[in-house]
Amino acid sequence: MKSKYARKLFKHKNPYDLEKTDLLFVKAMRENAIYQYEHCSDYRRILDEKGFDPKSIETMQDLIRLPFIPTVYFKRHPLFSMSKKRMLIKATSSGTSGKKSMIGFNFKSLTRGLSMVLRIGRYHKLWSFRPVNYIIFGFEPNRKNQVAIAKSAYGFTFFAPAKNRNYALRWDKDGYKLDLESIKQAFIKASKKKTPIRTIGFPAYTYMLLKEMQEEGIKLQMPKGSKITVGGGWKQFYTEKVDKQEFYQVIEDVLGINDKDCIEFFGAVEHPILYTDCRYHHFHVPVHARVIIRDVDTLEPVPNGKVGLINLLTPMVDAVPLLSVMTDDLGILHDSDCPCGEKSPYLEIIGRVGISDVVTCAQGASELLEKLKVGDSNDSL
Amino acid sequence: MILYKGNVYDNIKQIELIASLKDDCYQTLKENEGIKAVDVIEACDKLAKKVRNKEFDHIIKPLLDQLDISYQMFENYIYMFEKDALMNKCEIELGKDFNEQVELNKTTTKTIEPLGILFHIAAGNVDALPAYSVIEGLLAGNINILKLPSGDSGLSIILLHELINLEPKLKDYIYVFDVPSTELDTLQTFANIADGVVVWGGDVAVKAAKQMASNTTKVIAWGHKLSFGYATLNASDKDLEGLAHHVCQTNQLLCSSAQGIFVDTNDLEELEKFGKRFFEIFVKINKENHPLPLGVRGKNTLELYANHLEKQPKTFYAKDGVSVIVLPDSDLVLSKLFRNVWIKPLPKENIIDVIKPHKNHLQTVGLMCGKEESEELIKILKKTGVTRITKGIDMARYYVGESHDGTYALREYTRVVENDRFQ
Repeated sequence: MKSKYARKLFKHKNPYDLEKTDLLFVKAMRENAIYQYEHCSDYRRILDEKGFDPKSIETMQDLIRLPFIPTVYFKRHPLFSMSKKRMLIKATSSGTSGKKSMIGFNFKSLTRGLSMVLRIGRYHKLWSFRPVNYIIFGFEPNRKNQVAIAKSAYGFTFFAPAKNRNYALRWDKDGYKLDLESIKQAFIKASKKKTPIRTIGFPAYTYMLLKEMQEEGIKLQMPKGSKITVGGGWKQFYTEKVDKQEFYQVIEDVLGINDKDCIEFFGAVEHPILYTDCRYHHFHVPVHARVIIRDVDTLEPVPNGKVGLINLLTPMVDAVPLLSVMTDDLGILHDSDCPCGEKSPYLEIIGRVGISDVVTCAQGASELLEKLKVGDSNDSL
Repeated sequence: MILYKGNVYDNIKQIELIASLKDDCYQTLKENEGIKAVDVIEACDKLAKKVRNKEFDHIIKPLLDQLDISYQMFENYIYMFEKDALMNKCEIELGKDFNEQVELNKTTTKTIEPLGILFHIAAGNVDALPAYSVIEGLLAGNINILKLPSGDSGLSIILLHELINLEPKLKDYIYVFDVPSTELDTLQTFANIADGVVVWGGDVAVKAAKQMASNTTKVIAWGHKLSFGYATLNASDKDLEGLAHHVCQTNQLLCSSAQGIFVDTNDLEELEKFGKRFFEIFVKINKENHPLPLGVRGKNTLELYANHLEKQPKTFYAKDGVSVIVLPDSDLVLSKLFRNVWIKPLPKENIIDVIKPHKNHLQTVGLMCGKEESEELIKILKKTGVTRITKGIDMARYYVGESHDGTYALREYTRVVENDRFQ
């Protein structure tokens, strides 16, 4: 597949230079859309039914018209634009309802991904030659585990050489088990050494353990250079807002790490872009993607600052038509006047659509609502 | 928390208290005179007055917020627990002479007695429902063992404790435990002690209760239901507006909520015309009602959009977060909830074939038709097994004296006992 624009886009030096890369982005999306149209019959059907010709993509406005696919559709219908043997890495979303999105990366997509990770990592000063000890609030790798989240957590331990990797979710003959006690011990040991630590994992697990440690009165000082990184989203309904200030406060209290060394990542299996929060904890949109917020009823784009459904675009992936996807989250795109200096707008995720804790006596309703609650995980990195 | 003989205990005492439960219940039966409905009614009346006095607002207000019910609407239902309404309930459900020994003939008299000991399981997370269930059990004169649902807020224990404070005789008739549904052995113990198991919940909960109850134990199931609208092509706009209001007010979550509308026609073109007509009314009425939360509308929109990409269903209309889907089959099924209504064909000659097999899942029908058509349709619908036939707008309304799923709770919780004269 001709992908010179995508290659250029992912090699762009400043990862947040949105304005300068707008035209390049449109060209890369056009390349990708044409490819997907020609190689995925279901995607072609969808575009044909909407009367959209991928060759007509010239401007950002055209990208707004480009038909998007909700993640729930991917979970129900595997869509591929190339044979599985060309996919060097495959991954699925997590979720317990049995239906998972499947994605694959061919060599070219992987190189784009790697370029992206290199440049974003450099910008956020994540790369280091100095070895660190990793504490991972995630899954210990296992051949049986195809879930993207497990692979990404492991992948993150390559930003800096790993002296040690401690996993909170360990594999034994019965499956994965949460082992918080040994993680607690790992922190205590680390505080006595000079080697910096880095944590990576779900914010909810990280928060939960640190809160427990705080309640036990544990106060540690992690070595200089330590970082707390979280990813995978808070996975909560938009009505259950989490106080991030409280989260940073607990980290400072228990581990002596300032929030400037706390970094959050966001992405999704169906949109594998590495969104990384800035010093002020804003997710500026990187050049490799664009975000459109759409009205919850009409799906028309809304102006920045208004809440809506999140539509994510990227030309990164060849194997699956992920170029424009709709997630299950509500969000707001803010015009940037961020003190970090970055002009690229930033995305605020409000939370999952749907509703928690519904009272019902209609036959079958509580089962339906449970399924929707648990099974729909918009899986983030 | 546990409520035992009028005292509140920590769950840690569970094993100890359960060990003495059966003996304590039997002791009460042996020694006590029993409780009279009037005693229970007096206590409820006093409690209701306290609620009216806003003495429980600190608990009730957050609960109402959570359920999205206005305080005013809640106040409209407090009368249900006051003297007049409860006396009325007893008389309707058990007969005007429920308190007396009635002469059947020269040799035999009859009285109405409680079943004895009831075990209440309230599945799901409707706060205060467990307390309500126990109050019905008490009105019928029973000793009541209550298993709280998981995630219970504590409201039921507070209400029942307060009731005991107002009428100390009740302390021997109310036992509340907080046992997880996974502790099957404990639940089995309760079921073994009880004369009747009262279960509120979906099919799964009802089935579990029936399995737990031995052959000699009565099961009273207040299960979940599927309700629907039935319209002829003569239904007026006012009728359809009424149903639309009802759908918006209940979000299709109640057992009496219309999941969709069956239309008396075989003609798919007529069906689509009806669908479009209802949709336009629905959108208008939706604007007059409390709007759906943003997240629910987002979820609806995404689901409908995915369906649209999947090329099914063939005809649907969506706007402002509500939708109408016109389908060619006649299956009575749950809708997608939250103001997503299906429209399906069901000519009146097929009503019994299609609806009757749903048996115990049937409850309410919102009937929308011309005046002259109503008599025949009501006759047919009655034969299917539904228990309430109302106007669209009234599908979820309730008043004291109405039956509950085709029967009366107090009658289910009692037995008629005849004895011959010996004097």
